[in-house]
Formats: sequence, C-alpha cells, structure tokens
Amino acid sequence: VRRYFFRRVLHAVPVVFGVVTVVFLLVHLLPGDPVEILLGESAMPAQKEELRREMRLDRPVLVQYADFLSGLPRGDLGTSIRSREPVLREIRRRFPATLLLSATAIFVAVLVAVPLGVLAATRKGRPADTLSGVASMVSLSIPNFCLGPLLVLFFSVQLSLLPVGGFGTARHLVLPAATLGTGMAALLTRMVRASLLEELGKEYVTAAAARGLSRSEAVLRHALRNALVPVVTVLGLSFGAALAGSVITETIFSWPGVGRLLVQAIDARDYPLVQGCVLVIALCTVAVNLATDLLCARLDPRIRYE
Amino acid sequence: MQTTIFILLAFSIAIMPAAGSGCARKLPIDEERLVIALPGAPVSLDPRVATDAYGEQILQMTHASLVRRDAAANPTPDLAERWESPDPLTYVFRLRRALRFHDGRPLTSSDVRYTFEWILDPANRSPHRALYRHVASIATPDDRTVVFRLAEPFAPFLSTVVRGIVPAGSPAGGYAPPVGAGPYRFDSVSPDGEAVLSAFDGHHAGPPAIRAVTVKFVPDSNVRFLELSAGSVNFALNGVDPDLLPALPASGRLAVEEAPGGNVTYLGFNLRDRALSDERVRRAIATAIDREAIVRALWKGRADLAESILPPGSWALDDATSPVRFDPARARRLLDEAGYTDPDGDGPLPRLRLTYKTSQNELRRRVAAAIQEQLRQVGIAMEIQSLEWGTFFSYVKTGNFQLYSLTWVGIADPDIFHHAFHSASVPPDGANRGGYADPEVDRLTTAARRESSPERRRESYRRVQRILARDLPVFPLWAGRNVLVRDRRLEGFTITPDESYASVASMRIVPAAAPAAGQGSAR
Repeated sequence: VRRYFFRRVLHAVPVVFGVVTVVFLLVHLLPGDPVEILLGESAMPAQKEELRREMRLDRPVLVQYADFLSGLPRGDLGTSIRSREPVLREIRRRFPATLLLSATAIFVAVLVAVPLGVLAATRKGRPADTLSGVASMVSLSIPNFCLGPLLVLFFSVQLSLLPVGGFGTARHLVLPAATLGTGMAALLTRMVRASLLEELGKEYVTAAAARGLSRSEAVLRHALRNALVPVVTVLGLSFGAALAGSVITETIFSWPGVGRLLVQAIDARDYPLVQGCVLVIALCTVAVNLATDLLCARLDPRIRYE
Repeated sequence: MQTTIFILLAFSIAIMPAAGSGCARKLPIDEERLVIALPGAPVSLDPRVATDAYGEQILQMTHASLVRRDAAANPTPDLAERWESPDPLTYVFRLRRALRFHDGRPLTSSDVRYTFEWILDPANRSPHRALYRHVASIATPDDRTVVFRLAEPFAPFLSTVVRGIVPAGSPAGGYAPPVGAGPYRFDSVSPDGEAVLSAFDGHHAGPPAIRAVTVKFVPDSNVRFLELSAGSVNFALNGVDPDLLPALPASGRLAVEEAPGGNVTYLGFNLRDRALSDERVRRAIATAIDREAIVRALWKGRADLAESILPPGSWALDDATSPVRFDPARARRLLDEAGYTDPDGDGPLPRLRLTYKTSQNELRRRVAAAIQEQLRQVGIAMEIQSLEWGTFFSYVKTGNFQLYSLTWVGIADPDIFHHAFHSASVPPDGANRGGYADPEVDRLTTAARRESSPERRRESYRRVQRILARDLPVFPLWAGRNVLVRDRRLEGFTITPDESYASVASMRIVPAAAPAAGQGSAR
C-alpha cells in the first residue's frame, strides 16, 4: 500500500505543477494591471513604477514564475498585492470555512443519497423509485444561484428558522450546505441506484439469496458494498468540484471562503493570491482523489495497488 | 415504510409554518442593533490606504477627520473646529479641545501630522500619496494647531483632508484597523464576513444614540433583499436593485426613502476614432438615445438625467447648459451631414458600425441593450462587448474602445474636469480616456486649480461645462438616486449624494408603533 501511495503522490506532482503553470500564465496574459487597480488612476507614474518594482512586477514573467516556484518549498506563496498580507495567511484564514462547507455538503449528500438510492434500486419501477427519480432530476436542474435564495426565502424569511447568511454557528451552516449538497445528493442518488441495480442482477446476489440470506441482508451486506465503488469515485470528484465551485454558494450566503477570495483576487489582478488559491484547491482535489482511490481499493479487493 | 415517510413529511410541512410564526425570533432591531448591509467587503480598513468605497463608508463611522463634507459637499468641522487660509499656500486648522482616540489616548496635532506624513512617505506606498503631492510641509506650532504649506496653490485642497486620523506610530494593518476617533469603535472584523462596531462615549459630538452596529458584507443583491425582508438586516443604502424595490414586504416594517445621488453615469467616446472624432457623430448618438425611457424602464424612475459629470447639487454645476434632447430625426440628419448616409433606406444595412464596451453588471448590460436598440433606429449598428471588470477597465484606460459607459463615483470637487478633460490627463496621467484636447479647457481647468476665490473658480468651471456641452467628448447620462431601505423605527439618517455613512451617528431607534408589537416582527 505504501509503495502505491508514494507512486500516486509522485503522479500528482506533475498534475499540480501543470495546473499552477497554466494558471500563472493565464492570469499574466489577462488584460489589467494590479498596480493600476491598487493605486487608482490618479496615482503618479513614478509611484506606480515604484510599486511595480517593489512587487517585482517589472521583471519578465518567466523570472516571476521562477521566483514563485522557488518560494514553494519554503511554503512561501508570496504577498497579496491587494491586502499586503502573506498569501498563505490569507488562505489559511478562509480555507477552514470552505472546507467545513464542502465537507458538510458532501456528508449530507451521502446521508441522503445512499438510503434514497438503495430505496430506488430495490423498489425499481414503483412509486418510491419514480419519486426519487423526479426529485433527483429537479434537484440537478436547479442551479445553486436559484436554489440558495429559494431556501432563504422559505426557511429564513417565511419561517424565520435559520439565518439568511453569515458564518459562525451551526445554524449558519445549514442553508449553504443544503444548497451545495442538493445537486451532489441528486447525482449520488442516481449513481447508487444505477450501480446497485447492476450488482443486484449479478449471480452472487442470487447465490446469497439461495443460501438463505434475507433480501435486505443480501442487498446491504453484499451488493451495496460493491455498488459503492463507482459512487466513491464520483464522491471524490464531487468534493474537488465542491471546493472549487463553492464560489456561488459562498457569495449567496456571505460565506467567507476561498472561492470568494479567489474571485476577488481575480478582479484585483492579485497574481500571487490567485496562484495561491488555485494551488491550494488543486492540492486538495488531488489529495481527495488519492484518498478516494485508496478507499476504493479497500472496498473492492479486486482493485490492486498497481 | 413508504407510508410512514409520507406521513412524516406531510406532518412536518404542516407544522412548519405554525412553528415559524409561533417562535418568531427576536430581530436585531428589537435588541437595538443597527445592521447595515454593504454590497461588498472592504479591501482595507486603514484610512491611510483604503481606496474602496466599502472601506471608506465604514471608516466614516469609525474615524474622524479634520473636516467632513456636508450634503452639498461643502467642508464642515469635524476634529478641526475652524480653519483658515491666510494665503493660497497656507491652511491652518485649529483642533477642538480634549479630543480622544477610542483607546483613551489624547488626539493632538502631532497625530494629524503623523497621519499625513505617513501617507506622503514613499516607503508606505499609500495610494493617496498623489492627492497630497502639493503639500510641501506640515507644522504643529502647538497641540491644537496644524499648518499645511503647499508648494503651489491647489484650490481643492480642503476637500482632500477628509481623511481619517490615526494615532502617531500606528502600524499599517492589513485587516486590523488602526484606532480612530470617530463615533464608533471596532469590536471585531471578520474578512468577507462582518464588522461589529460599538458606540464611542468619548466622541467630540457626544455618544451616538444607537449603541451597537453590525456591518454585514452581503455581495448578492437578492440576498440583501431577503435579509431586509427577514429583518436580519435593517438598513441598506443602495443595497436593493430598482427591480426588487416594489417587491419589498408591504407589511409596514420597512420604509423606503430616496434622495438625489452624486454618481453620474456617462457614455464615453474615443475621439481618436475616425467616425467619433466628428462632433456631429457624437451628437447624433447622444440625440438618438432616449435617456428618459431608459430611466423609466430600467431604473424604475430612480435616476435623474445629468448634463454634466458633476454630481447634481454641486456648487460648480452650470445650470445654463441646455440639455441634450432625444430627437432621432435630428440624429439621422447629423449622420447625413457627417457623411454617414443610409446605404439602403429601410433595408438592413447600417450607416455606421460601432462597438460598445461595458462590465458584466446586469443593469449595465440591460442599459447597453436599450442603447443598442435606440441607435439601431437611426441606422447605427452597435455591438455590445460585456467584459469582466479588470479587463474592461484596462481596455478603457488603454484607449482600446469606441464607446464605453462608466460611472464617476465620489466626485467631491470640480477639479475632476482637469483630471478627465485636460489634454495632459491622458492615461496613465489622468482619466482623459477619449483623448479630448481643447486649449481653452486646458487653460481654464489649470487656472481654476490655482484660484482661491470660489466665485472665480465657479465661473471657470461653468465655462468649461459650456465647452464640454458644445464638444460632447463624453455624453453624461444620468445620476442614479440614492435609495435607502430601513426599518421604520430607525430615524435620523441623512442621505447625501456621496452615500456618506457619517450621519449614522445621529440615528436613533424610536419605539415600535403599537400594533406592530404582536405580529409585525415576523416579516
């Protein structure tokens, strides 16, 4: 296992490196000048030059890139142009919020999707299945920017049960997590259903039934375990998407996360901050996918650590 | 099992509304807390470096400056009880007695000098440094007197000293705001979340009536609307889109107020462009645009037409400028005269093709679409390019446009004419983005800068405005009105054209009207 793990980590290095390089080049190619945005139009040209020199923005892009790379081993992601704070500190301040939101959303999604998917698969073609299918389609079709305000309208405005936005208590987490998790739950429900149906048609399930196992035992102890392998893979991918794609949810609920930080950084052409955010998101996505692969191998011993 | 789930679901849906109305939670207003929604988070809360509107608005509550601006943008006393200018190069400010910072330290002339010298120090990279480039020296003959000496006369100087004063030796803080002397002090600030303020009892104008203020950063317009509806926010200045205002709950808890705004939106022309260098073409575009219809349909009437880029109500505004009237027939004639005749009568071919750049703001995009249709009526085919803000602004500044639209925000002094129309103010040295050049405008805007008599300054700026109305280097469109949505119990706020939050300190919470006590709080 250990060898497999290290090999996977080694594989991840070029992925992260590639992402960071592409993003570095892209943000530098974008029109717009961080110094102009920071100092405003009325700043004196000499003042702009000074800042450009100090921020090392006057040097060739390749030199800036080399600078950025050489800082990485020391954990130095540079200094934010906008706030003049170390990028790492900026991200550290926001990252826990994003992680909390994404993890809760995934957790809720799994909690809803697995029972619902099992229910739909075991009652194929019956009302429960149809209902779960319709609910999944509806949930998948509603974009977050629409679902979020709808949830707020109902739970915060009509019922005064939950706060509209903000960060701090568990009650603040409910609506953002529900918004972010609904689409995932719908996707996972369909995955569990499809995957379980496939397993249920296999001979070992019939064999289990022949050995006298009850239907629920056969489903839960044998088929479900195998059915979860593709589900876990999708889960890993969803988590990466949740980390990077929480921007809309974070904006709707005034959630102080990395997604919003990244958008603000792009607006301000805060190159070091954009790179830092992308690097962290890329690292997390790679880490989660690695964890998913290890988990899959545990769930299904047929998957070898190769 | 299925049946059980259905029953449970049905039951929970049935009891939910009852549960909601039965245990309506206490709203912040019931606990005498003012909750303000700002459409974005401040980038900095240090008055020496903050340039963004949200940062400045919070600082108006927490930091006192030498002078403030009143509703007509005239300087009024704040920390300085009086000031004088014995000659055009000298400004003497006399501070009030016994001023204190939030932490109890006395505020003296040396703190004022420190604040401005910190900004002027190149090592501190303050974006405000250019504003004070005329300052030659700052002297403090005693604890209550500050003397600014200028290198050359600069008439707008007084409007530049509206800048929060910090204690001498304050470190430059990213998010940690330095101590101030305004009516409110910072209790806590969470980046991208909220700022919590409490009343400062030692404020020179006496302690503010509302003791607790939360400023929430709510970037989504729909959510600001919902927060107001829910009562978790009870004060939003320009926080609700004009479209959503009619949908605010008519329960009587919220009141909507409006007053003239100071931010003028304009249509910019690139005068280096062959077609647009012709004044007749620019005027044809201006007369083809039905501003009143756009204000009525898209702004829901909540904007005033502008004939100058100066905010409505400015002391330097020229009231004799004749407004550009909507007249499509005249627009067609002007295009004919300029040589852009209609190639095929009622056919599809345009007289002229132009590109219009704008940001991705929804209202701006809809305005662009309206202008596109109106120009089509006179035979101009206009392509709209809606760009991400950084890209858009970069194109505008580098002159990479034919037409664009932007809004001048926070214009306090008519010196803007020098910044926006002097031939030497072409970016990066100013904001003359269209490349306009007129020797008379150059002469008048330079002279007005050095003129100490307000009357003569006003006369110069009036003449500048007449020349601009003749040449039309930009077409001023409208100034959106400032719309305040507040809880009815919050009184005493004065809406100023520059969206100042300074009068939050004069607000108070009046007791709720009798019938609202039982039922009104839920909505």
